[in-house]
Amino acid sequence: MGTVVTIDIYTGDGSAGPEIGAALTTARVVLQQADAVFSTWRPGSAVSRLRRGEMTLRQAPAKMAEVVRACALAREASAGWFDPWAMPGGLDPTGLVKGWAAQRALTALRVPGVVGAIVNAAGDIAAFGALGPGAPFRIGIADPFAPRRLAAVVHLEAGIATSGSYERGAHLIDPRSGRPAARVASASVTGPDLGMADALATAIAVAGAAPGLALIGPIDGYEALVIAPDGSREWTVGFPFAPMAAAKQVASACR
Amino acid sequence: MKRTVIVVVATAAGLAGVLAFHTSPSSVSLAPVKGTDGSSSGPASPARGTASGPARTAVGPQVNFSYGVLSVSVTVRGRSLVRVGIARLSDDGTVRSQSIDQQSIPVLEHEALQAQSADIQGVSGASYTSVGFRTSLQDALHALGLH
Repeated sequence: MGTVVTIDIYTGDGSAGPEIGAALTTARVVLQQADAVFSTWRPGSAVSRLRRGEMTLRQAPAKMAEVVRACALAREASAGWFDPWAMPGGLDPTGLVKGWAAQRALTALRVPGVVGAIVNAAGDIAAFGALGPGAPFRIGIADPFAPRRLAAVVHLEAGIATSGSYERGAHLIDPRSGRPAARVASASVTGPDLGMADALATAIAVAGAAPGLALIGPIDGYEALVIAPDGSREWTVGFPFAPMAAAKQVASACR
Repeated sequence: MKRTVIVVVATAAGLAGVLAFHTSPSSVSLAPVKGTDGSSSGPASPARGTASGPARTAVGPQVNFSYGVLSVSVTVRGRSLVRVGIARLSDDGTVRSQSIDQQSIPVLEHEALQAQSADIQGVSGASYTSVGFRTSLQDALHALGLH
């Protein structure tokens, strides 16, 4: 995967006891193991060996089968717009696995005393809880056209993943043509599972706004916001927009 | 690139800990992070521990990445990472690379700036997949004895 992951933990009293340190360590191990198994640029990783035919799915670590099942579900949910089997060089779960790993790391942080936690895998974010009662987490969506500004703010209950034309890597290959494709400036998907949200955001980025949003509509619990190359925006009716006003300070501070 | 599997850093916003590590589990460092101020306006306080010593900053080497050259700056206090940023960024001036700069590079700066704001807890929308970024970050951490 090769990325930067940040972890924020919120506690009721502001203290960080040893059990929280232990939870962080577990989360770190989860991420490290995911990287060891699923990194396509590490020749010795299980996914690389699988791609080269040196290992079968049955021989691979159990989490490989779990990710492959998640990939199959996401391919079905996205009507094939997300298809790790259509990537150059064979199966490439990259478009899902970063979110999947962050979601697993988040699970490790559910320990007593923690009222909320956020695992941010380079912009794909898994969270549970909140700042406190009636104070949900607020997550900004980077503006694809305006550096260091936010395009929107959401109230986050679980996961949010964003894909866009700025992304590199095989996961923005159009499975139907086998060629690189990005038909939106930015596609954000919220939902209960970050692996699925990650895959669906990738699917929308490849499919384009109208077909992409049509995919998300029927999927229970998932919502999407698309920013088109011309700057126009479309979203599903339940997209969890939060007021931007409180974010102005951040936007101006970044400028 | 074998040296670094993945880097877990703390954001500047309400954090409980910092993890920065190499492949070897024995080199894991875990340190609580002190908040940037002594008060909390939120209903729940970010977890805080103790951190000691003056803030120290190191700049990683300039490294090539897919769209130019960058170096990463890291600030630590004690063994706690308090800020990660881009110290220098140059590119080949193409539209593509400008797009990368504008959308990917500022994200960690955003996260650093979250320290000054109780309003945002994260930013979605850019990928740090650059090997160069990690290389420079890791070397900067190493220079500060945090690795």
